[in-house]
Amino acid sequence: MRRLLLGSLLIMVMIIPVFSQSITIKGTVTDLETGEALPGVNIVIEGTFIGSITDINGNYYLDVTNEEATLVYSFIGMNTVKEKINGRSIIDVALGSDAEILGDVMVVAYGTTTKEAFTGAAEVVGEDVLKERPVSSFEKALQGTTAGLQVSSSSGQPGSASTVRIRGIGSLSSSSSPLYVIDGVPMSGSITDINPSDIANLTVLKDAAAASLYGSRAANGVIIITTKSGSEGVTKITFDAQYGVSNRISDGYQLMNSTQFYEHSWLGLYNQQINDGQTIEDAKAYAHKEVKNIVGFNPFSSDNPLDENGKLANGVKALTDTDWRDAVYKTGAIQNYNLSVSGGNDDTKVYFSLGYLGDSGTTLSSNFKRYSGKVNVSHKVNSFLTAGINNHLSYSTTEAPPSGSGGSNPVRSAEIINAASPIYNADESYNWENKAVYDFNPVGLSELDKYSYITKRALINAYLNFAITPTLNFRTTGAIDYSDNDGVNHYNPYHGNGAGVNGRTSESRSDNMAWNITNLLTWNKARDNSSFEAMLGQEAHGEKYSVLSAGATDFAIPGHHELVWGGQPEMPSSYSSEWRMVSYFGQAKYNYGGRYYLSASLRGDGCSRFGEDYKYGLFYSVGGSWRITEEEWMPELFWLNNLKIRASYGTSGNSNLGNYASLGLYGSGANYGGYPGLTPVQLENNEIKWEKIQSLNIGLETRLFNRLGASVEYYTRYSDGLLYGKPLSAGLGFPTIMTNLGAMENRGVELSLNWDVLTNRDLSWVLGFNMSTNINEIKSLATEQVISGTKIWEVGGDVYQFYMRDWAGVDPSNGNPMWFTNVASDDASNNTEPNSAFIDPNGSGKMVTSNYMDAERIRKGSALPDLFGGLSNNFNYRNFDLSFYFYYSIGGQIYNFDYAANMHDGNSPAYNLSVDALDAWTPSNKYTNVPRYNTNNENQSEQMSSRYLEDGSFLRLKNVSFGYYLPESICQRVHVNQLKVFVSAENLWTLTKYKGFDPEGAMNGTTSNTIPGVKTISFGVKMEL
Amino acid sequence: MNIKSFKATLLVVFVSIITFSSCNEDFLNPKPTDSIEDDLIFESYVTAEAALIGAYDQLSGSNFEGLRAPIMADIIGEDVMVNAVENWNWFVAVYQLNLLPNYTNVENPWWNAYKIIHDANKIIAKAQEVPDATETQRNALEGESRVIRAYTMLTLVEMYANAYSRNSEAPGILNVNIPTNKDSEDFGRASVAEIYTQITDDLLKAIDLLSDYTNKGFFDKRAAQAVLARAYLDMEEWEKASEMAKEAHKDLTLMSANEMLSGFSVRNSETIFSVAYTAEDNNVYLSIPSFYWPVAGYSSMRANDRFVELFSKQDIRLNYFILDPDIDPNRNLILKFSHNQQVGNAERISIRAAEMHLIEAECEAELGNNEEARDALYIVQKRSIGNAIKSTASGDALIQEILLERRKELFGEGFRWNDIKRRQTQFTREGDHWVKFDFGAQDEDYNRLTFPIPQSEIDANSKLTQDDQNPGY
Repeated sequence: MRRLLLGSLLIMVMIIPVFSQSITIKGTVTDLETGEALPGVNIVIEGTFIGSITDINGNYYLDVTNEEATLVYSFIGMNTVKEKINGRSIIDVALGSDAEILGDVMVVAYGTTTKEAFTGAAEVVGEDVLKERPVSSFEKALQGTTAGLQVSSSSGQPGSASTVRIRGIGSLSSSSSPLYVIDGVPMSGSITDINPSDIANLTVLKDAAAASLYGSRAANGVIIITTKSGSEGVTKITFDAQYGVSNRISDGYQLMNSTQFYEHSWLGLYNQQINDGQTIEDAKAYAHKEVKNIVGFNPFSSDNPLDENGKLANGVKALTDTDWRDAVYKTGAIQNYNLSVSGGNDDTKVYFSLGYLGDSGTTLSSNFKRYSGKVNVSHKVNSFLTAGINNHLSYSTTEAPPSGSGGSNPVRSAEIINAASPIYNADESYNWENKAVYDFNPVGLSELDKYSYITKRALINAYLNFAITPTLNFRTTGAIDYSDNDGVNHYNPYHGNGAGVNGRTSESRSDNMAWNITNLLTWNKARDNSSFEAMLGQEAHGEKYSVLSAGATDFAIPGHHELVWGGQPEMPSSYSSEWRMVSYFGQAKYNYGGRYYLSASLRGDGCSRFGEDYKYGLFYSVGGSWRITEEEWMPELFWLNNLKIRASYGTSGNSNLGNYASLGLYGSGANYGGYPGLTPVQLENNEIKWEKIQSLNIGLETRLFNRLGASVEYYTRYSDGLLYGKPLSAGLGFPTIMTNLGAMENRGVELSLNWDVLTNRDLSWVLGFNMSTNINEIKSLATEQVISGTKIWEVGGDVYQFYMRDWAGVDPSNGNPMWFTNVASDDASNNTEPNSAFIDPNGSGKMVTSNYMDAERIRKGSALPDLFGGLSNNFNYRNFDLSFYFYYSIGGQIYNFDYAANMHDGNSPAYNLSVDALDAWTPSNKYTNVPRYNTNNENQSEQMSSRYLEDGSFLRLKNVSFGYYLPESICQRVHVNQLKVFVSAENLWTLTKYKGFDPEGAMNGTTSNTIPGVKTISFGVKMEL
Repeated sequence: MNIKSFKATLLVVFVSIITFSSCNEDFLNPKPTDSIEDDLIFESYVTAEAALIGAYDQLSGSNFEGLRAPIMADIIGEDVMVNAVENWNWFVAVYQLNLLPNYTNVENPWWNAYKIIHDANKIIAKAQEVPDATETQRNALEGESRVIRAYTMLTLVEMYANAYSRNSEAPGILNVNIPTNKDSEDFGRASVAEIYTQITDDLLKAIDLLSDYTNKGFFDKRAAQAVLARAYLDMEEWEKASEMAKEAHKDLTLMSANEMLSGFSVRNSETIFSVAYTAEDNNVYLSIPSFYWPVAGYSSMRANDRFVELFSKQDIRLNYFILDPDIDPNRNLILKFSHNQQVGNAERISIRAAEMHLIEAECEAELGNNEEARDALYIVQKRSIGNAIKSTASGDALIQEILLERRKELFGEGFRWNDIKRRQTQFTREGDHWVKFDFGAQDEDYNRLTFPIPQSEIDANSKLTQDDQNPGY
């Protein structure tokens, strides 16, 4: 080994012009704290490549020509020490641990930096935020922790990932998800496979200076996950166990019971007959005769349960009063166990862990289990070579019932099956009859149908790190991210979706194989008061997705879902799809005097997804910062400990589109009459190219009174060439073509405060607060407007701007619904009032109509919040710690489709109603917001309008946890180093005016009968051996 | 580690860098495995033929010939009704004649049809250049594609434009008769007459190019003649229509009375073109029997009592109707279209000889050839009516008798809507209809018998504005 080094040094020395005569310096390097010799310490003559390294006894020799030179001693984990030779020939040095400095090291794109030196906008989220949280996936714990980071769960399905957005919505049709990078390698599979307790910290890269180095994948920001690694010293064995119970996050609005629904249905029939011109007697007779037909069941003890006026007669009792929500929702149990071992010595450091998470879910047939294992090893082969591997394996099973508007969605069934419909028949078999979703009893289906998924995941990355010289480093990383997904979906032969084909099973096996090779060459040079760092990199990435699916129908043997039990095979299918990318990049950083920092980066990407002429893209960034408090002319102010301003500008891209988006293709599977066929599936689209984002960031960081840290950021992100499906005439064969025609801007201000309120030895209190605003604005579109569902896209509006008819309430004279005509709006070209228009009888002075189609749609605000953020409090008192996080979101509308289904005014008479519908117009209740209830209503009052648009603002106690470290004496008695018991509760309390279960939902602000969010209370123990 | 292995390691690393640096053509051009690039399709007969199969597949889809087009052609009529119970709202607005330009039932057939036409246009343009195809094969590719295009356009123009007989100069549909790509110019609405010219032109060419096939799942010469007979009938070209109808039914044996009652789910001696439906690659619930047969599907179609009353007691077709209080206490169920062993598994017989005899009868009657007309009519009547007597009527009475027979013989097969329109007759719904109407050709309500142009088309097509919408929408 020595020979090699001497050899290579010799070569280098020969390159350097040899001056007059050289002297030999020798000495010993020791550890400041232990006094032990330190082998492998780099010694270099400042400003040159000349250097040496200490041997096993900490001794070194070095020839120098300039007696005035400075020697730089460096060793990983230790403070770097500089010594001027000053004519000495023996220089002994002691290196201290740089623990304090390490605290400020942050993992950034392709390397690390210190907080002081960083010119970009990024935030580190430490382990303290993630630990002991009863969540299945780390991103759920991030909500409210970081300014500019929006996390929203649209489903309480256990194991489902939340939607994450950094600084707004960056794309119209492509993904706006950030890129996740784990231990230096971009991830391809799901983030929910990662066990949060394996994560050491996360860095959220927000601006161009931070993220542009990821080029075409950085448009929506980057989240870097760093997993735990071993450290030298005594091996630590940690075990924690956590048990929790979870429930639906709130009760939502109340639904009618069977009596209310029966009476209300009677009223609807009566109103319908009166409306048709029948006499009161005839109308009542008709209502009495038909009401059971409409409801489906007579839930009462009498055959004639209703009196003359359609109210429950005296002495009649409701025998059936099903709470379908109670039937579909349950209390979930969460179990979380983690065992980890971490340790190592000078040369080898290991961390490994085993984890289990089980979440039985709050909804029928909805659960999640994850088994995970991790091994991280790093090994110092010799003085210049370090090798390591980071390994993650997981296996998870999910049962998830279908969402959406189909009959098999249990969440929807719970809302729309009326309470007069029983779950079971008298003989305890399932009752499949009901008027809302015939043959889809959700309780019965949860037993007979199957929706289960298995995911296996392997994330492996291995690296070699060559410290070629003390200043020149080369690192090569090879990584594989493999995920395998199996899905089984079985419809039973008797009821629901499978009844028509005597049962159906569909199975799919898919896998995604992603590989990545990254090579990095870094060089740094430090002078007295400046330093320079350069990096050159090369990366190649590829992904191949393969899928095989098969199905069968005609299942004769009950309870067996495997394909072998099916009598009739269905068309199987398989295909694969891949994309590849090759990239080169470089970065340079310069620092002068610890005051001025400059950085610049450049990246070129070539991506297979684009057409011949548009395969390559170039992305760059520049950034700079100025630490004013380090200036010599700055007086030392007791109240100002740090003041830094920084700015950055740069570009990045978004390449999230179909793998073969530029090709004109004929697709297989267009079979006819038993012959295989092909049909055009995609128009040739050679001009399709990257979405580009230009980001500007200006930030200010300060620390006041040594207690209050604050940072303020202003940013703009201008996205150009946004892909979206430009509508085509049917004459061109396809409804849309992806075109780079949109532009959009996100701009906002972020504020973060961190206040050490109390820092006594016994008691400390840290208060954190952050606040973000983001304004999203569409800057250009190919067409004037794109109207889709509840939304409108247009220049000047935002991406989630609501556009619908404007609810004007109920006409007191007849109970009809009314909408403002809004003739000045742009639905129709002319501004003339329709024939059906009249002056609002409720006195707004505006024109209204009771004919839905005659009202024009108007803009009704956005789904995006005006302001969101978090507030955290951490208390430590001796052995106790207490923390609570609040999350808030102010502004932002929600269009509540679910509520609309329960406020249908008789337009869908079979669906259950909210108790709010009891306030429907009657001649004696004229001033109300709920129209007259008419069975088989055709007044379209339930159609999309601002009637169902709600304010989605909320304040939520996101997490509260309380922990207690048992006294040392007890720990010693049970032979553990540390023993902690804790309680942690998630989503315990919410303040909102929103009527549904949970104001936190889909980013686009619409509801779709997804499993409601959950609140969880858990307790656990954590011990360290 | 010694210096050699160090060097070796570095070498490996640098070699790997160089490997990936020399990103050759293939590295950034992976090919899909489930599709083929456009320009390869017409390089061989095998793929060109598969493209033709694909065009039939588009045609057979539930948004067009497989379900929506034919079923709506009867729902917009007087003879059948849609029961809203447990029907998940299928076709209710169509039944109510209450359609808006953005409704699925308006949008989907249009978009599906132009996808069929897109497929056919590509084949027509390239068929004669397929290098390894024989002349017969090339002619079959072109000829069948022309029939596909003509058949699709004919269905579209009947749905989305006013009848040729009413105003042939009125706006029709988009005459997309060439291959298009993303940069192609949009097509405006061609006149109804232009569309019929395109249709007849395609069919005449196809008749020259095609021969007769035994597999009636594909358009052959006879099918081309049959479609042409329909087009001429719309155009009131009685002579030409009669001639084509005769060609189309020549030598075909009508199915037996028994076969008439066996469910219309498999082709037989009378079939001229049948959608070769297979349950494997279609949604069985979106099929004709799923809606018509009284059990096992949506099962929501009912027959109007006044219509049922039109059949004589001796008519075997009366067996198509049944009252079963267990299923529906009030209205006639329909037994004409059955499942074949499994739900929804049934071909849809699109063209059959009886229709050709009826076209012949109608045309001959219009031409004043009463005896020929009576003979043609009698062929159809005598199969189903036990005591059938050849008609003695003539002139308009004969025509009315033929039209009534057409209604009885072909109900549920997708003709009623256009028969009302092309003859501009009164639209009257009586009896047990949920939604009743009574309007004539001069009433504004007659606009309900023409679909609106889909809103998405008006929005996206640079040649169309709101003013190009059909009257009444």
